[in-house]
Amino acid sequence: MAQRAVWLIRHEPGNPLGGTVKFSRRYPTVEKRAKVFNGKSYVPVPEDGPFLKALLFQLRLLDDDKDFVERRDSCSHINKSSIYGLLVGGEELWPVVAFLRNDMIYASVPLVEQTLSPRPSLISISGVSQGLELLFGIQDFLYSSQKNDTDLNTKLSQLPDLLLQACPLGTLLDANLQNSLNSINFSSVTQPQKQPAWKVGTYKGKPQISISITEKVKCMQYGKQDIADTWQVVGTVACKCDLEGIMPNVTISLNLPTNGSPLQDFIVHPCVTSLDSAILTSSSIDTMDDSAFSGPYKFPFTPPLESFNLCHYTSQVPVPPILGSYNMKEEEAQLKITVNLKLHESVKNNFEICEAHIPFYNRGPVTHVEYKVSFGQLEVFREKSLLVWIIGQKFPKSMEISLSGTLTFGVKGHNKQPFDHICIGNTAYVKLHFRISDYTLTGCYADQHSVQVFASGKPKISAYRKLISSDYYIWNSKAPAPVTYASLLP
Amino acid sequence: MGPLSREAWAQRLGAFRASPSAFLAGAEGEDLGRDLLSDLRSEKLSEQTKVSLLTLSLEYSDKLWSDAPAAEAAATSLLDTLVLLPSKPSALRRLLLLAATTALVSGGALGPTSGASCRLLPLLLGLASGRDMGRSFGTLSEQRHLQATACECLGELERCKPGLLAGSLGILRSLLGQTGPIQPVSLLLALVLHNTLVVPSRPGAEIGAGLQGLLVAGVSSSGSCPWDWTLAEEWDAHLQPQAPSWPTTGEEHGFPLLKPSPEEARELKAAVAQLLDTSYLLTSVAQAQLLWLLGWALRGLRGQPPVVFKPQLVRLLGTAQLTLLHSVLALKAAFGEALFTAQDEALLLRRLTLVAQHPALPSPTHLFYLNCILSFPENCPLGLEGEEAAPLLLGPQLSRGLMPSLLHDPMVLLARLHLLCLLCADAEEEEKGHVHSPRWYLQELLAGLQQRAALDGGPQALATLCFQASYLVASCLAGQPTVRTSLVHGLAQLYRARPSLAPHFVDLLDQVSPELREPLRVVLQQEVVARPGKNESLCWHLRMLAKVAEGDAQRATLSFLQAAAIHCTDWGLQQALLRVCRALLRTGGGDGLADLLQVLARQLEDADGRDHARLYYILFSHLSSSKLGMALGPSLAVPALASSLVAENQGFASTLMVQETPAPIQLSVGPQKAKGTLPVLHLQVEALEAPVYSLELRFRVAGQLYGPLEAVHIPCLCPGQPAHPLCLTLQPRRPAPARLHVEALYTTPAGLTCHAHLHPLSVKFADLFLPFPQLPKGSELCFFDDLWNSCLPKGVESRMWCPLGPQGLEALVSQHLEPFVVVAQPPTTYLIAVQLPPDSMLLLRLEKAQVDGVPVALRTDNWAVLPLVGDYLRSLAAH
Repeated sequence: MAQRAVWLIRHEPGNPLGGTVKFSRRYPTVEKRAKVFNGKSYVPVPEDGPFLKALLFQLRLLDDDKDFVERRDSCSHINKSSIYGLLVGGEELWPVVAFLRNDMIYASVPLVEQTLSPRPSLISISGVSQGLELLFGIQDFLYSSQKNDTDLNTKLSQLPDLLLQACPLGTLLDANLQNSLNSINFSSVTQPQKQPAWKVGTYKGKPQISISITEKVKCMQYGKQDIADTWQVVGTVACKCDLEGIMPNVTISLNLPTNGSPLQDFIVHPCVTSLDSAILTSSSIDTMDDSAFSGPYKFPFTPPLESFNLCHYTSQVPVPPILGSYNMKEEEAQLKITVNLKLHESVKNNFEICEAHIPFYNRGPVTHVEYKVSFGQLEVFREKSLLVWIIGQKFPKSMEISLSGTLTFGVKGHNKQPFDHICIGNTAYVKLHFRISDYTLTGCYADQHSVQVFASGKPKISAYRKLISSDYYIWNSKAPAPVTYASLLP
Repeated sequence: MGPLSREAWAQRLGAFRASPSAFLAGAEGEDLGRDLLSDLRSEKLSEQTKVSLLTLSLEYSDKLWSDAPAAEAAATSLLDTLVLLPSKPSALRRLLLLAATTALVSGGALGPTSGASCRLLPLLLGLASGRDMGRSFGTLSEQRHLQATACECLGELERCKPGLLAGSLGILRSLLGQTGPIQPVSLLLALVLHNTLVVPSRPGAEIGAGLQGLLVAGVSSSGSCPWDWTLAEEWDAHLQPQAPSWPTTGEEHGFPLLKPSPEEARELKAAVAQLLDTSYLLTSVAQAQLLWLLGWALRGLRGQPPVVFKPQLVRLLGTAQLTLLHSVLALKAAFGEALFTAQDEALLLRRLTLVAQHPALPSPTHLFYLNCILSFPENCPLGLEGEEAAPLLLGPQLSRGLMPSLLHDPMVLLARLHLLCLLCADAEEEEKGHVHSPRWYLQELLAGLQQRAALDGGPQALATLCFQASYLVASCLAGQPTVRTSLVHGLAQLYRARPSLAPHFVDLLDQVSPELREPLRVVLQQEVVARPGKNESLCWHLRMLAKVAEGDAQRATLSFLQAAAIHCTDWGLQQALLRVCRALLRTGGGDGLADLLQVLARQLEDADGRDHARLYYILFSHLSSSKLGMALGPSLAVPALASSLVAENQGFASTLMVQETPAPIQLSVGPQKAKGTLPVLHLQVEALEAPVYSLELRFRVAGQLYGPLEAVHIPCLCPGQPAHPLCLTLQPRRPAPARLHVEALYTTPAGLTCHAHLHPLSVKFADLFLPFPQLPKGSELCFFDDLWNSCLPKGVESRMWCPLGPQGLEALVSQHLEPFVVVAQPPTTYLIAVQLPPDSMLLLRLEKAQVDGVPVALRTDNWAVLPLVGDYLRSLAAH
């Protein structure tokens, strides 16, 4: 259960090498063990240069992606996980854990404590999950509360010291690098016994707890008889507990109003000390009925110092917040579109923003538009072949609005207009972007009075709620649309 | 040279990091390790620079000090530096401990004879147990912080030499209840406990027997050394995986089964419970490590029910933390039903399917959990061990959320598609025709993928995805006719829409099983030949045809090629066209192929093309179809990097030319039978590995001592059959021994003609001996005397001493000279006459044998053989 090496690589499309190694760390003692464990199948960890090249090739991030290359494109080279085999110096280095986020490639080579041929299954290699956890930890550290490139560079420069704390000899001790940073800063304080390793130092000051619930709603509306619309709410409860004492105990309850939609599919932070079996087993896999557990959902925990996600959940609300329809037809050289949107009466009609984006892919620039909107205003981005319908803060009293229009397109310029591999022919969508504060679609709220705190002093408790759209699509009902299996079930 | 400045070091370290091997090979390479160690003590360098030096040594100690003596010296120097540090707090102490540990381990210096090891171990143990180590290790509070580091270093030593710290179990256990950081001590204790139980103990299982003693021994009471090199010796043999193999539950293979006594079991249980009870104080990755270690440690113990883990599970099942859930799966694999009832198993699988798709988790996490589902350690597994399969409990309801969709990114799509294929393969055929069955959905999905891949100018990745999906489906479901038909149909449509995907098609045809390959090949051939004439896809069509042109539809193919020939104006197209012809030649041609080749040989603009066409025509009209297939088949010696032409020429060369090979047969000289008028060499021939056909053996005598030898022909030799006897008649020009050079020319089972040099054969002097014809009874002595007298004066007489071995004269004669004896009066006299072809003779009179030899009078009419006779007589005793 250890890592042989870790890399952080910035992907730079213009760079002839395709990227630069921003950080790398090797563990010679682990490498020594790898040599013994892997025996004849041992392949040494390469230097940064060859590793970079092999990884970028495997991830298809080099610019020469035009032709068929058997080593990468052969139908039998199937990658079904973020674990790769890299060809370096004629030998295959495996397993390499790697993924790309925000132009950064995170990679590590976990130790496999047995021979590599035949290849052991991933589930039997403890270093794989550890490697992923370490890389996620680095990613969280780099991008949490990071505002610009200077911030990023500062954090990058802290990485060597942090890894010396979190993973000094290749075996990961803590994936939370912020915690490691704190431990460097707190190093002059002697820790008492029973101090959890995930909480360095203690909070001193006014006790306060903040709980914020963010729900994201995803939706696919097809406007078709034989395909069912699907939607889902995904909630995240983030907490920051500033409480004195080594191990304060807190219990937070999530409540639903009487007509609220039951919460399901809970996953909780490891600091939650116990979990009611009704919470553990409430699952979207089961068909819904009235017997579904509808709270209150209690989470007893001992909070870490920093802000953390107490739990995530999903929920199936009875109707999507905005119902829409989208018709797009090609008539001679023109596209005729109509979009209708209706806000459900139960939804709070007070948006921070509400926009409908109507993109046109695989076509030329928009040369001519005629349109009529019943409400709001339309912005036309001709070169990007995009219409943005700005609806504003409120739907009108009728709750219904519509847009109709006719568009003509010019000749497709090379690489100027957006390409999409889903929107072929008349397959097209409207994507809604909206945000409503102090509101949740499920009705879920954290009751401030039911928060129990076993610590000195009565904390100030603040609670926030927010609803955000995420992947909210309304597909053209006059053309085929990508379906999920769930939307085909009777 | 004095210490380098901060900037110089920064530059040097940068250059090293850019390419350590290049730097070490360079001029400064040798000095780096030494300079680094000495500059660590320099007072001019800042602590920050020293930190960067130590960080580098942590990362590259195996490169800087690669052998044991260098590593030992480096570790000693690092420890000296540590002792010399001023007593004020310093970040260097921690790094120096880590660096010394790393240097010793990675350089292979760790051991009982290493002075540095013997300094480091007590130091680490002292720091780990919270003893005051004196002012040179900083203030007491700083020493407290080094406690964690010391534990980590000890852990690393124990990992690399399992069993090293078995004697410290008691100390570590007592530390767990005291002040100090809980995580490092817990992890170290769990690791040592694991190694003590899992590392195969020496005969007698002393560890198991002394477990209780080890667990309760305190610092003061034990008195014995807390580390033990004997346990850790032969570290390569002892280094055992934490999970040697991911076994199916219930099996105990490969594990040493220890049977602790009741007292030991109680003590062990208490220790494990103590570790688990405080495990919530550990970070989640450390908790996961603890669970792996304790799980695999207890697995090998009889009578240790794993219920002790149960209280942890409910807490852990609620999280989606990768390492934690993974460790739960490890516990599942380790204990199976003993820890997870059927309901527990169902719940675990439900949680696993949930986290494999939970929208709040990132895609690498989803993919890892999806992979875990396919290798889920079931209580009652049905399939083969190690094979990916959907768990039995994963019914349609549970897997509904794991269905692929076109909106997924390629890896998620492929992983989910694989699951879907496995489910479809398991599903009964009866659901056929059900509109919304998984199989129907699968086909819809493939159609969508094909449509996307058909997009003109679309990225390569989309095409690759489509073909990988097709391959997955083909490898799981090729046996199902409905799936196969729709797949073939869809792919044919895809080719029609975008012929430039031909390389992908060729690759797919190479990879899939014949069940799919054959129908797909036929359909693609039809697709291509249905579109004759000029178009921009001609090069792709030709490339495709070169792969799929075989079988019955040759007429259509030929007319397609005839039509295409007019448009093949450039070299590339002509070559592509010829490649198709070549493919046709290989599979037997067809009626019109000769005509087409003749036309091409005249018409093609390019001279190279015409030459090739002519060559193919000549080959076609002169070689039998099987030989043609061989000649044009894949070259046996395909070079790694070669143009098609090189490969092609190699193919010809290997078939039409004689190949030089190692000897395919073994030739040996058998026992000789002296009779007749010419000496005959009795040979034995055996095939070595493969059958050999039409073997021709050619012999050549060095020095023209004998007349030319005729070649010998053998139709067939197979390995394993009895040796084939062979008589080779020699025609000596002089009575002298010789070496025969032998060459073999033969045909392999693959039809290639090969040539090999065999080991030369030796013809000995005695091999040439022939007896005189049988004489009438009574005239022998007279005949011999006549011969004896006739030798002189032309010839020569000599007397020699023939040494006798223990067997005596009679045995010697009967063994070697029997056929040539004319008169025998044992034990006193033997008269021996030997004909030496072509026209010489040798006469021997063996007289009364003495103690160790026999005097021999000899005459011959050819004085040149005298030295040979001498050698021969002397050699007799040796046999």
